[in-house]
Amino acid sequence: MTEKAISALAAALDRALVGQEDAKTGVLLALLAREHAYLEGPPGVGKSRLAEAGVHAASGSPIQLALHRDTRLQDLVGPVQLRREPYGEGQRLRHQTLPGPLLGAELVLLDDLDRAPAQALGPLLRILGERCWQGQALPLESVIATGGPERIDAYADPLEPGSLDRFAIQVRMPGLLYAQRWDCARVLLEGRVELSPGPVIDLCTRRRLQEQARRLPMPRSVQRAYVDLVLRLQRFAAGGMPLSDRTFGRAALRVLRAHALLRGASRVERTDLRALRYMLGRRLPDLTRDQFEELLAEAGRPAAPWLGPSAAAAGAAWGAAGAAGAEPIRARAGRVRSWELQPGARAPGMDEAQVERVLRALEGRFERGYAGLEEDPGGSPRSYRTLRGLDEVFDADPVELIGYLDGTRPGLPRSFRRERRRAGGQVALLRDVSASMEGRLGRWAGRVVAGLVRAGARRRMRIGYVEFNHDARRFHAGGRFFHRRYTSLLELAASSRAAGRTSYQAPLQVALNEFRARAGRNRHIVLLTDGVPVLGDPEVRRERTLARRLGVQVHTVFLGLGEHPPVLDAIARETGGLCFVGQPRPGGGLRVLGLGEGT
Amino acid sequence: MNAGLEGLRKVLDEHVVGHEEVKQALLLGLACREHIYLEGPPGSAKTRMAEVVARSSSLSFFFYQLHRDTRLAELLGDVVLERRPLAEGEGERIHQRIEPGGILTAEICVLDDISRAPGEALNVLLRILNERKFGADSIPLLSAIATSNPMRDEYYNEPLDPANLDRFALQLRVPGLIQSGAKEEARALVSRFAAGTVVEQPELRAVASRRTFDDLYATLRRVQVPSEVKEGLLEILQVLVVEYGCNETNSLLTDRSFLVKAVKLLQGRAALAGRERVELADLDVLRWMTTFRVAEEVHEKVPELIARVVGSAGARPARDS
Repeated sequence: MTEKAISALAAALDRALVGQEDAKTGVLLALLAREHAYLEGPPGVGKSRLAEAGVHAASGSPIQLALHRDTRLQDLVGPVQLRREPYGEGQRLRHQTLPGPLLGAELVLLDDLDRAPAQALGPLLRILGERCWQGQALPLESVIATGGPERIDAYADPLEPGSLDRFAIQVRMPGLLYAQRWDCARVLLEGRVELSPGPVIDLCTRRRLQEQARRLPMPRSVQRAYVDLVLRLQRFAAGGMPLSDRTFGRAALRVLRAHALLRGASRVERTDLRALRYMLGRRLPDLTRDQFEELLAEAGRPAAPWLGPSAAAAGAAWGAAGAAGAEPIRARAGRVRSWELQPGARAPGMDEAQVERVLRALEGRFERGYAGLEEDPGGSPRSYRTLRGLDEVFDADPVELIGYLDGTRPGLPRSFRRERRRAGGQVALLRDVSASMEGRLGRWAGRVVAGLVRAGARRRMRIGYVEFNHDARRFHAGGRFFHRRYTSLLELAASSRAAGRTSYQAPLQVALNEFRARAGRNRHIVLLTDGVPVLGDPEVRRERTLARRLGVQVHTVFLGLGEHPPVLDAIARETGGLCFVGQPRPGGGLRVLGLGEGT
Repeated sequence: MNAGLEGLRKVLDEHVVGHEEVKQALLLGLACREHIYLEGPPGSAKTRMAEVVARSSSLSFFFYQLHRDTRLAELLGDVVLERRPLAEGEGERIHQRIEPGGILTAEICVLDDISRAPGEALNVLLRILNERKFGADSIPLLSAIATSNPMRDEYYNEPLDPANLDRFALQLRVPGLIQSGAKEEARALVSRFAAGTVVEQPELRAVASRRTFDDLYATLRRVQVPSEVKEGLLEILQVLVVEYGCNETNSLLTDRSFLVKAVKLLQGRAALAGRERVELADLDVLRWMTTFRVAEEVHEKVPELIARVVGSAGARPARDS
């Protein structure tokens, strides 16, 4: 009977959506384990559809909310009740939130979780975690939320891992076309997809399945393997936080049991540890299926020395660079690209700290005298402030507004402070691609470029990109040198060539001419090089003067063991920029020296 | 073509010279109940075309000019503050809600200069455009037509969020007649103005009713899609992904648009041509679907790619039922 119910559920999901096996399993696990799930994927992959189908099939009548910029906490929790009570001579106003739809629901669908403002999201996530509201337990079983992939130029603040930790299940859904699942695409084209499959199990069955899952025994040996696997995952994450104690100790165990139930087993077995994979979508986005299987195979094996594929990377992050002569960057080479394109992914990075140092210092410069956020009536509500004009009435807190209108509240009501990221500023990234910029140095330069692109994207700066050796090559996008197509810049950063000799004059000339052609402030050049100029004016005198005149700050980053050309220092000093020297270390590390301001 | 739509087409031709493709796409979008995005420089008749087509049908209509301060209330209806006395005791219950208006009550709407509104203001539209639902309530919207200026520094605008852009199944570039060197059309335009017959603010009469659209929609859903067309569609998508390297970061080939909506648009193409069966040549509609979804250089190659696939599939013996 259990088996029949489960296969009916799975079949209902299959009817609603083609492919996306991981996500389907994730939704079933969430429903059976009474945990929350987060489905992440690009638009149009069927996230909301799957969530809806799962909940309907399990006989839930879900509360469905689409979150957006103007979602208020009241929309989520319920209306406010204002009660007047006599109080001595006067009156006391009490206000109380009435439980709204969300608070009475068992199953909830939240669309576009990543678009809600922090004010609404914060309390909401707290409710999800605690499953209680003002001291009362909620009937909440599962929330299934959807969201888009993290994007560097998104306007909403990205979801933090901490907020997402409430979602035990986290699955990423790739598009069928991009994943090249042509067989599935064919089925979808046939149009044999059911619009909304009705309930396939009744409420009693759902409850029974959940209860059954909760009681499945988990033998000692599996427990040991589980702990071991989690520790290995933690090591793989190298400093990241794959599983919080809360998730690890409570939610994960429920998920493992639900997985066993899905298999039709009568107890949790070692193979059920695979359920952890459905929990790692955002916690460890870099982990591939094969890597997971490898970690799983090793888990619980006594005395096996740690020799996983990422051993070098993990070791390096603990400062044990040079271990066993491995070259950590090489070990990661295959994944560099994906790391570069996913800002949220905290990959175990060997030179992360060093790259970060350079980036932080430069980012500080991008920001100097320059606020990242600006008040804008069309922006996202980020905090409260006092009402300033009647046009802001719609953004005012309704309760305080009424108090004000009635004359029972002395002050003005609060209203949203709406802010947007300020657009502006330009940075030209000049990357040396001369013959010596090969291998490690080239990759390091690529990562600095990628980091700067992301830093620029956060400030909505326009970025220009130049690759140079003895000649300078500009990369245009949409017919412009300075532009905001950040993803294409990240692709450029990840790919590189190495040929030719070095000139400083050519790239600086090209970039400064671009600056000369347009007005603006907050203008920067970052010159990344590993060589001594052998062509053009080695002192770049004319360019230094021009940069000063145009008010462009030139920052220089020199990579390599060789002598660091003093002219780089001079350029930075004269233009008010920063100067860095990065030295490769034995074992593949890279250390930033001479970190300092050209003063 | 269906009589109502033919009437619409005639009205469009009366008011706007040239822009053959855009006119076809507008009618296709309306017939298929899909949203349309038009991007072109100022003064290229984008808004005029959108408005003419919208006002010449007896559908309820909403026009909104977006701007950088666009607020939720302007798109969706007024924000209402409700105060109800409590059943017992003294006090009241306060509830803020939206009195549906704007997009929520229109059957067809024109969102002018959509890229002028900050991206975050538009994210409320996502679900509305896609599922035609607000909260739990269905809304009567058939099609939304959005217009925008090209993304250039001189204009205050920013590119649409990909999720929003994907809501617009049909996407066209509208070049100015002069800009694109359409000599014949430019001549026609001048002679029309020279003759003094142009009415600046024309009174539009309804030539198509809701019934027209409902009937057409029912017909087009019955149009057959032979498997050679489906295979052709898959082949084109395959080339885009495998050969041209389209991926999540540089393009927007979503499953929903290209595996679900594309089929409907193909059916629409056939239905508008009065056919009961989709032909390979209808795959041409992919040109209008890929405009802003793939990189510019890739989009330039799409017509050629379609021709290639159509040609090679046409040469194969039909193995269709």
